[in-house]
Amino acid sequence: MSNAVEILLVDDSPEDVELTVRALRRSKIVNEIQVAEDGAEALDFLFCRGAFRDRTFASPPRLILLDLKLPKVSGLEVLQAIRADERTKAIPVVILTSSKEQKDLINGYNLGVNAFVQKPVDFEQFGEAIRQIGMFWMLINQAPPVGGFVETRAQGA
Amino acid sequence: MTSTGKVIAACALMIVVCIGALSFWSEVRNELDREWVTHTLLVVEKLQEVRIDITQAETGQRGYMLTGQDRYLQLYGAGVDQVHRDMSELPDLVLDNPREHEATQRLEPLIAARLAELEAGIEVRKRSGLLAGVEAASRRNNGEKWMGQIAAQIGEMRAAEAELLSKRLETAAASGRKMKVIVVGGNTLAIVILLVKGFVIHRETCKRNLAEQNLKHMNERLERRTSELSETNVELESFAYSVAHDLRGPLRHIAGYSNVLAQDYAPQLDMEGQRYLAKVADGAQKMGHLIDDLLSLSKVGLQELSLQTTSLDALVRQVMDELEMDSARRTIEWQISKLFDVKCDPALMKQVFVNLLSNAVKYSGKREHPIIQVGQLEQGNERVVFVRDNGVGFEMQYVGKLFGTFQRLHKTGDFEGTGVGLAIVQRIIRKHGGLIWAEAEPDRGATFFFTLGPPEIKPSSEPELAIKEEAMHV
Repeated sequence: MSNAVEILLVDDSPEDVELTVRALRRSKIVNEIQVAEDGAEALDFLFCRGAFRDRTFASPPRLILLDLKLPKVSGLEVLQAIRADERTKAIPVVILTSSKEQKDLINGYNLGVNAFVQKPVDFEQFGEAIRQIGMFWMLINQAPPVGGFVETRAQGA
Repeated sequence: MTSTGKVIAACALMIVVCIGALSFWSEVRNELDREWVTHTLLVVEKLQEVRIDITQAETGQRGYMLTGQDRYLQLYGAGVDQVHRDMSELPDLVLDNPREHEATQRLEPLIAARLAELEAGIEVRKRSGLLAGVEAASRRNNGEKWMGQIAAQIGEMRAAEAELLSKRLETAAASGRKMKVIVVGGNTLAIVILLVKGFVIHRETCKRNLAEQNLKHMNERLERRTSELSETNVELESFAYSVAHDLRGPLRHIAGYSNVLAQDYAPQLDMEGQRYLAKVADGAQKMGHLIDDLLSLSKVGLQELSLQTTSLDALVRQVMDELEMDSARRTIEWQISKLFDVKCDPALMKQVFVNLLSNAVKYSGKREHPIIQVGQLEQGNERVVFVRDNGVGFEMQYVGKLFGTFQRLHKTGDFEGTGVGLAIVQRIIRKHGGLIWAEAEPDRGATFFFTLGPPEIKPSSEPELAIKEEAMHV
């Protein structure tokens, strides 16, 4: 399990990716971080297709950090796809974006996001926010059982 | 209707009324004239009857004288009675005419004399028989003389009446003609005036329609312009919002990488290098605050108000507590009086107090004993909330710049700030339909006053209403 992806970071800005990854690593909470530069790549990864066809649903990321402004497929569309599929719907998703527009907040929560965090401009605050997110979702929160949802459904039916 | 129009209408009405009155009056006159004509004819007829009566009496007497039969005596009696009756009516009929009245008086003795003669003849015939009667009658026969005089008198009277009749007929005809002239002329005049009036009304209506059309047209243009303007406004706000928003990304990178540089490469930089790096980080941070303020400012413009009955008191105390936590080391004397409950957007109104009170805290920061007052007063119908501090204040000549975006009245070295806070406050107050203004004196503090549009809720200082409000909240 040590090589399993712990966090899927979806962000198209290499600088934001670098700074986020740096903040996560310095918090010494996570090691395995997968980066997707747009929404399409994120969906390929999550649904084990395209470049990621060798992956299995048996090892989903424990957390998805999702930006909203993404090329090809937007963050909200990615969220919608994740929540629409039984195999991915339980994965915790945190929106991490520069926007705190009312409509983004409403849409995000309507689509079942777990948390909504605005990236602070101040780097110390930014680092602290990333550290707290990592700590909560990796250490404090109990992750959903892998495949549990699909099996329960199958038994129920 | 114009004043000329009113005058014309009044004239037309007056003329119609006058014509009515005149017609009525001349109808009355005409009736009177016709009555006089009838009256004259009556007099003439009466005179004729008197002659016939006398002739009947004479016929009766002559018959009796010749035959001695009572039949003639009766004829004579009836004639005499008739003469008396008719003669008694005559004076009344000619009362209106003194000349005819006199003529009647002259006629009376003549008739009386003639009747007396006839009577005397009958007496002789009764007493002494046919021959004596005839003899007596022929001896003192003045019959022709009397009758001639009577006929002359009656003729004279009839002539006078005829003259009168023709005069009266003339008068009646003349008044009839006059009435025709009045009715026809007056009505024609009234019709002409009404036609003129109709034309004037038509012209005025045309003018008014044209003016109304113009007004409608101008209103439409104004509406279009207003909606264009508000569209442009919204576009501008959205533009400002997205620009500010997009600036945050690169800014975060500047701040982030300068921080990374400081963390990882500090040992490789000398003191000056580290100072420069600190300046970069500092600049990025300031710009971050500026952008955040700009975002809040344009957000106020874009946001719809969500109005709720709000206790300003509670808002102020909440903000005060937050500020006290931030400036824990300072001792500020807060003087907060009871405030109104108002209908407002609580989040935006909290922003107002955050900005005003943090300004008060900031600008009174150098005082030994800072005092910040929040209170309310009534000005006419309006309720005014004020925030007062005993800080550095400002010169009133710059008050016009106070609420401008990025306008600052103090050096950044003295007091930090972006110059957006009061612009946001003003925008929020205006959005609520209120006004904001300030009074200050250098080194003696500043007071900010604001209203929140028309008051909808009574101040909570009125106990009865306050209880009601509380009950509603429960």
